[in-house]
Amino acid sequence: MSARLGDATGTSRVGGTEGLVSRSLGRLMAPIVAIVAVGCLAPIWLGDSRVYMGVAVTGVTFACYGIGFNLIFGSTGQLFLCVGALAGIGGYAGAILADTAGLPIIVSIILGTIAAGIAGGLLSWVAVRRSLGVIFTGIITLIFTLVYDSLLLGLGNLTGGENGFLIQSGSGSFMRRQIPPYYVLLGLVLIFLIVHALLRRSHIGWAFRALRDDEVAAELAGVNVSRYRVYAAVIGAAMLGLAGATYAFAAGRISPSTYGFAQVDVVVLVMLAFGGIGTLFGPVLGSVVFTIIDELFIELGQLREFIYGALILALFLWIPRGVIPTLGEWLKRRRQRPG
Amino acid sequence: MTATVFDGVVLGLQFGLLAAGLTLVYGLGGVLMLSYGQISVVSAIVVLFAMDAGLPTLGAVGLGLLAGALMGLIHDLTILRPVYRLQGESRVLLSLLLTLGVAFMIDGLLNWRYPLQGLRMRVGSGPIEIIGVRMPAGSVVASVITIVTLTGLLLFLRTTTLGRAVRSVIQDEEGARMVGIDPSRMLRLILILSGFLAALVAVTRSMVIPVDVQAGFSITVLALIVTVVGGLGSVVGALLAGIILGIAYSIAAAQIGTFMSLVILLLAAAVTILIRPSGLLGVKE
Repeated sequence: MSARLGDATGTSRVGGTEGLVSRSLGRLMAPIVAIVAVGCLAPIWLGDSRVYMGVAVTGVTFACYGIGFNLIFGSTGQLFLCVGALAGIGGYAGAILADTAGLPIIVSIILGTIAAGIAGGLLSWVAVRRSLGVIFTGIITLIFTLVYDSLLLGLGNLTGGENGFLIQSGSGSFMRRQIPPYYVLLGLVLIFLIVHALLRRSHIGWAFRALRDDEVAAELAGVNVSRYRVYAAVIGAAMLGLAGATYAFAAGRISPSTYGFAQVDVVVLVMLAFGGIGTLFGPVLGSVVFTIIDELFIELGQLREFIYGALILALFLWIPRGVIPTLGEWLKRRRQRPG
Repeated sequence: MTATVFDGVVLGLQFGLLAAGLTLVYGLGGVLMLSYGQISVVSAIVVLFAMDAGLPTLGAVGLGLLAGALMGLIHDLTILRPVYRLQGESRVLLSLLLTLGVAFMIDGLLNWRYPLQGLRMRVGSGPIEIIGVRMPAGSVVASVITIVTLTGLLLFLRTTTLGRAVRSVIQDEEGARMVGIDPSRMLRLILILSGFLAALVAVTRSMVIPVDVQAGFSITVLALIVTVVGGLGSVVGALLAGIILGIAYSIAAAQIGTFMSLVILLLAAAVTILIRPSGLLGVKE
């Protein structure tokens, strides 16, 4: 089969083990727990360095973003170009509620998460109601990102504008130390992966696969396509908001570029395309690989952007389905070969 | 008030020119070219260097336009090849992702090599007065160039045989093929033309505000929004959408300040897309 992009967008059937849903809960959770356990070990050899721990925290944050976006785009084919904006709604709402309104941090994070979930749900609802395709959903959500950006700068006395927002709340807490924030965000990765895995296994997962494979057939078979799209968007957007808000309190300072389009959306899209859109572990693999690549090339400065571009080209030209599905296919072929 | 509306029309003409190239490529080829703004920026840099090298302004501009057209052709010959093999939505999506990659590569190179360069063309000496409104000479010249170009483009599309062939492909690719038109040749022509238009955008824009190396993405995004509001594939739609959005922006800027006016422009675009997903003058699919 030639490299159809349909595969990359998750519209095709992912054959073999992916399609099996009747696996036991233990077998479903084992790889998740194993991967997160490996992640737990990272501070052992990075823990001494403030710089590398900071990089690791950013890495797990992007894994969270990737899982959230994967749930929206990979599972239900809605191209949300507002990943950074949704994470930023969580982050800024959390920061403003905690610092300016004086709410407890945990309440602020929850409210930020809810705000992002509602925003994502509304966007999806509008797109579904007007039956916008992939591209138009992309454009509407891109406009949403631009509006969010101008509001961020325009409401400077609330958000700190271009200079950013220095978060006072929790400045003495464990979230500002070197290693704990890493484990908090890794915990989020674990929870998000479990939620995604359980969703895939439930009837909602069946509905996702059905509408991804053939929307019309799914609709005819009685799947309420629009409702499941909105569900996926609400859950995914809430994940983005939660990760964004948690990261804000770990970083202590957020600015428009913390959640910028070029800094978050493009990176998440590339990570996901690399790992495999619609796969469970694609975002994790993508975030690990790209965090390392980013760190390796840090001395190249602006040329890093060039390398990113070249990687995007290479990815979509040669492995449009991503590493995990391509590898899985290769392993399956090897196993099937007699002898 | 007249001055505000005038400003809006000037801005709107710029918006329209911005979207014209993008809308043709999308309408004809189902290709969403996110490297459009970068073509503009590269052309601007070419003009700048040609002028620094001592070329007369017109020669430098000619060279810039040539560079834009050439980049359109290169797109067609290289990264758009695999895109053409696909159909429908996956075609748009692959074109979007690949040209995004190209945009990043160009941006990266420019920011690395020439981070501080920018093109600003100075036209005339003082403001020019038109029916009692004083306009900067740059805006007037830019508007005249835009009007001439878009009129020329429309005449080409409406009256010449080649232009009609192009439009027939936009309306019905299969039908066009049946009457002996080769869609891939039309597509190449349109890519060269849109590269040329992107370069022209750089020139006219630089008469009003500086076109710096970082401007690529904002040019693309603006062009994309105007394109969608105007209706994919419709040059008149792009012009109409540009002028409406331009006037809305200017009035909002005069009444409530710049930052909210951008929000209003964006919301106006979003509402239009939601009410009429096919755009102001787009063809319903």
